[in-house]
Amino acid sequence: MLLRRLQLRNHRNYAHLDLTPGPGVNLFIGDNGQGKTNLLEAVAMLALSASPRTRRDNEVVGPVAAATRIEAEVESGGIVIELAIALTVEGDRARRVIEVDGVRRRAFDLPGHFRVTLFWPDDLGLIKGGPELRRRFLNQMLVQVEPGYARALAGLKRVLEQRNSQLKRMAAGDGGGDVLEAWNEELIRIGGEVSIARARAVQELEPVAARCHSEIASGERLEIEYLGPPANVAEAVHNSLAEDLRRGSTSIGPHHDDLRVLLDGREARAYGSQGQQRTAVVSLKLAEAALVAQRTGERPVLLLDDVLSELDGERRSALLRQVAGAGQVIITSVEAGPFPPELISSARVWTVSGGEISTCG
Amino acid sequence: MPQLPEPLERLIQELSRLPGIGPKTAQRLAFHLLRADRQRAESLALAIGDVKARIGYCERCYNIAEGSLCAICISTRRDASLLCVVESALDLLAVERTSEFNGLYFVLHGVISPIDGIGPDQLHMPQLFDRVRSEGVVEVIVATDADIEGEATAVYLQRALIPLGVTVTRPAHGLPVGGDLEYADELTLARAMAGRRSF
Ligand SMILES: Nc1ncnc2c1ncn2[C@@H]1O[C@H](COP(=O)(O)OP(=O)(O)O)[C@@H](O)[C@H]1O
Ligand SMILES: [Mg+2]
Ligand SMILES: [Zn+2]
Repeated sequence: MLLRRLQLRNHRNYAHLDLTPGPGVNLFIGDNGQGKTNLLEAVAMLALSASPRTRRDNEVVGPVAAATRIEAEVESGGIVIELAIALTVEGDRARRVIEVDGVRRRAFDLPGHFRVTLFWPDDLGLIKGGPELRRRFLNQMLVQVEPGYARALAGLKRVLEQRNSQLKRMAAGDGGGDVLEAWNEELIRIGGEVSIARARAVQELEPVAARCHSEIASGERLEIEYLGPPANVAEAVHNSLAEDLRRGSTSIGPHHDDLRVLLDGREARAYGSQGQQRTAVVSLKLAEAALVAQRTGERPVLLLDDVLSELDGERRSALLRQVAGAGQVIITSVEAGPFPPELISSARVWTVSGGEISTCG
Repeated sequence: MPQLPEPLERLIQELSRLPGIGPKTAQRLAFHLLRADRQRAESLALAIGDVKARIGYCERCYNIAEGSLCAICISTRRDASLLCVVESALDLLAVERTSEFNGLYFVLHGVISPIDGIGPDQLHMPQLFDRVRSEGVVEVIVATDADIEGEATAVYLQRALIPLGVTVTRPAHGLPVGGDLEYADELTLARAMAGRRSF
């Protein structure tokens, strides 16, 4: 997987960018607030179709105009594809138009054409933070490798909106238990698609993450458990009716999923030190990249945003070993300090300043 | 922007209320009509008036109709034991074009959508169930779209219709997933109708 060319128009602080990254390691150095994360965000949007940084598309639109365009030429399996995302501000939201090779596509049909594994400071909270971070971790990986997953996720969101709306109508005395039954079936059907994909992914992730973690943390045993909807979903949905009516929301479904990470049999979230948690995060991220490569036969583009400076010792080395392997990597950092000289000498080095990027040396 | 004469402003307003027409397109259309000769413009106005005056909905199936019943319900050559439920009159046309189907229809004019306040009553479903009970219907084909609301509507109909003793089927897969019936090509839709399956 290769990003051959990236063009930005009015994306955040990039008024205009035309970038041709190299096929190996690309290092972007710049002070804080210069546009390093913005750059990776744009690249990630081409893989995920939405920003991993914000739910509100219009936030990325820069000051030059009421529209943003992100365009790329990517290469996958020897085939070159052109991808484009155009955002136009309409009131407090943005209209999104997506094109693959010049043909308009729905948002959920974009992922899978270009694949990345993004690792940025937010991810350092993957173990410690709330369950939505861990669901996002699974989602970002699965939309790129599991056909139909992005569509199922969008469908699940819609089903929940509709079902919750029906619950509120019923609570207000409008009747409609028979209509709710139809939405229950949809919840179970589409929720099932999502949780089957997640359960399978976790099974594939575990051995790779465990191996990696054990290498960094001298033999510590990592396990991952998928905490999905109960086995008998239909019954659980049925039994939750009274509570759902009271709360006006849906208590059973993959929108409450979580991952439990265990280190030597103890819950990492509660008992792990910061160092142990970070090792587990690095291991999960490396396992993610490995799963994408395994499923698609092609390594995803690695996007490492300012994380090397946050890591030390064996954790940094493990990540750097991965970086040194074949494939394209885009790394940002405030300074070149954390990188070994042999990496810098083989990398393409760029400087980022005030939304402009120039080659360095 | 300088003020436009009131009638022109009003025309732009009206045009921009149409689906798929934004303010820019509305302006272009309005100026086009302004330039067009009088006869053309009047004939458009007349056509709109006639549609509203002469075309309504069929009392039996809610298809578009010039009188109280539509051409399909009037025909004596249709098989009244087969009933096809569609979301819109455009979807009905799409099924008709396949020539695969010789039964009667029921047009919902929408799908179940609690967010929009649309439930079985707004879609005339009680009338649909009356028809199924009283007109010797043997099979109901639920040809709603394959998107979320279309599927939920199909599930609802299936659950409501089976106790009435009819077979309920759904056009076979092959329709684009998440897709609009209206946009399915004729051959795909014909195959889907021919290969329909029970729930
Ligand atoms: N929509 C936007 N339009 C213009 N500038 C923006 C927009 N969103 C963020 N920025 C600017 O981008 C800069 C932050 O860029 P970022 O990529 O996060 O920096 P860093 O190099 O530290 O990763 C800030 O200066 C911020 O003002
Ligand atoms: Mg940053
Ligand atoms: Zn009729």
